[in-house]
Amino acid sequence: MRTGNGAGMQSYGDETRPLAALSLPSRIVIGTAASAIAVAALIHLAMMFLHVAPSNTLSKQQSGLISDYVYPEYEQNWKLFAPNPLQQNTDVQVRAQLRTPDGTSRTTDWTDLTARDGQAILHNPLPSHTQQNQLRRGWELLSSTLDAQNRPSGDRGEMFARYLRRIAMLRMSGEWTKNGDRVAEIQFRSRTTAVLPPPWSAEKVSDKPVYRVLPWWQITASELPEGATNK
Amino acid sequence: MTSPTPQPPTTPPSTGTVQTTDAPPAADAPGAYRETRIERAIGRGLAGVTARALAPYQTAVIRIGFAGTWLLFLLREWPHRQQLYGPAGPFDFGMARQLLDGNHALSVLVWSDGRGWFECVYFLAIAASALLMLGWRTRTMSVLFMIGVLSLQNRSVFIGDGGDNVIHLMSMYLVLTRCGQVWSLDARRARRAAARPAEDGAAPPRDVTGIVLWAALGLALAVAQLQGAAGLTWFGHGPFPHFGWSLALWGLWAAHGLWWAAQRYAPGEPRTVLDTLATLAHNAVLLVIMVEVCLVYATAGWYKIQGSRWQDGTAVFYPMHLDYFSPWPGLSHLLGGNGLMVMLITYGTVIVQVAFPFTLFNRRLKNVLLVAMICEHLSIAVLLGLPFFSLAMITADAVFLPTNFLTWLGGRLSHLRGRLFPGTGTAGPEAASGEGPPEGAARSGGDGHTLVG
Repeated sequence: MRTGNGAGMQSYGDETRPLAALSLPSRIVIGTAASAIAVAALIHLAMMFLHVAPSNTLSKQQSGLISDYVYPEYEQNWKLFAPNPLQQNTDVQVRAQLRTPDGTSRTTDWTDLTARDGQAILHNPLPSHTQQNQLRRGWELLSSTLDAQNRPSGDRGEMFARYLRRIAMLRMSGEWTKNGDRVAEIQFRSRTTAVLPPPWSAEKVSDKPVYRVLPWWQITASELPEGATNK
Repeated sequence: MTSPTPQPPTTPPSTGTVQTTDAPPAADAPGAYRETRIERAIGRGLAGVTARALAPYQTAVIRIGFAGTWLLFLLREWPHRQQLYGPAGPFDFGMARQLLDGNHALSVLVWSDGRGWFECVYFLAIAASALLMLGWRTRTMSVLFMIGVLSLQNRSVFIGDGGDNVIHLMSMYLVLTRCGQVWSLDARRARRAAARPAEDGAAPPRDVTGIVLWAALGLALAVAQLQGAAGLTWFGHGPFPHFGWSLALWGLWAAHGLWWAAQRYAPGEPRTVLDTLATLAHNAVLLVIMVEVCLVYATAGWYKIQGSRWQDGTAVFYPMHLDYFSPWPGLSHLLGGNGLMVMLITYGTVIVQVAFPFTLFNRRLKNVLLVAMICEHLSIAVLLGLPFFSLAMITADAVFLPTNFLTWLGGRLSHLRGRLFPGTGTAGPEAASGEGPPEGAARSGGDGHTLVG
């Protein structure tokens, strides 16, 4: 049933030999391997399905087994713009408390980091992950760990808070310290604005922004990524 | 009667064949024994998945596509590489270490916080992507490509998106496929070796490059292992439960050596057995890749159906008005200004995504949907500013492209290359387009008319 290797194919072995021409041990090896590979492939596909499908009877029952299998390397999420696409723009803004060289302190104005990302993405055919994902995802992760007082909770929360501080320092420290000032503390807030429904829709949605203000955070030497300065 | 020789296209679909191969082959029946229909089907199925690595063009396309997408991404992020993956970026070495200590994902980047190590890994990731794309030492490069992808992505998992996720999964799957059968430097080398007049009694060439590469990688892995590098465990936290990365990497290394030795010293049955095992793995993973792509679309579609915006036909309007996903606001507003258009695209997206897995059973319908999905991803690339995500998804779609189309495309590309660079004519994929394998190779097997036909 095989016409042989064409000129374009990379030749691997003596593929013209039918299985039946092999010795018994060889056939046993191949038969066993075929069974094992088939079982492995089916288990893998079942795990992938249970991982991406909505939580159900089986996946609740076997959640430990499934997550042991899936995490960390097969983790995936295909809820792309689903069940509903995001319908709000969240702007992450930051300001700093500076110590001037003469010992007084002053507070900067708010800087809209998200708006800067937006400017970088505008008319850019190849947006970078630093512009499109870094701050956006960082903020999503941090805000998911904030408690009622807007304080990060748990080890993860602390990690994301530190991540955000470092992102802000990387982007802002040059501007804040250019007159010889030193950054003592920074503060984040988010401004969330709903995307107005399309013009043909009768829906009414408030276009008033909602603010979420986080506490002031101290800036230490360990909060400085490469490229940031704070004398 | 014991050896039905079916026409290749009539073999059952591979979903069936792989399942039914659970049972050992029932081929060696004694003379008087009549096989039942099920046994014949099992025999046929087993013959189908052991005879050859199916879909050579489709697997070559996804190799080129995923390696190329990741290569372009790494080159695009070259100026930002420190910020995204470097030890002193916003997500610094200590945080990466803390994260990976918790989730046990593999990343060679936590082996050292030195800047030199990071630069070295980033450069090697670029080199492995380029060489995998070209198909030079394909199997080896696919392993290095996977290590590059996992190392960078696992270290900074919070800056990735859906495109990274697809590449992450596929980089692991590609390792077990024979994705260099066509359109690769390996295939060209094999073709040239076959064309060389055989000298009587002369041993095949020694392949010094391969031996050196194999020895160097073995040495590197041994050094990492002896240093107790993070992530290199034998029986835990690996690609499968109770199957560590050490076992996986050393296993691949040993199998490669065994394959070389069998080719050189045992060209008879041992080589056939090894070849059949590799073919089996290829075909199983090909099935996994195809089902995975279906899972992506199926879940993307099923979750959308539950959303009120996808139901009322306005969903597509919203992403185009998000600051992060509207690089061309003029264009977005133009498209988003027409309610009927928005509704058609919204409904069309859901219909295509939900329907796709089922259309695989009808070749014509499948091809129509493929065109629709590729067009949608092209527009996502521009409208939502997600070029690398779109390229990865288009590559994933390409595993279902018809062989005829791929060989035609290959012919056109090599024709174009012949006109642009005369004199390099003999090398490229064009030689593949004429001969037997296209028809036999990709149509025959399991997937017959529907999946890859």
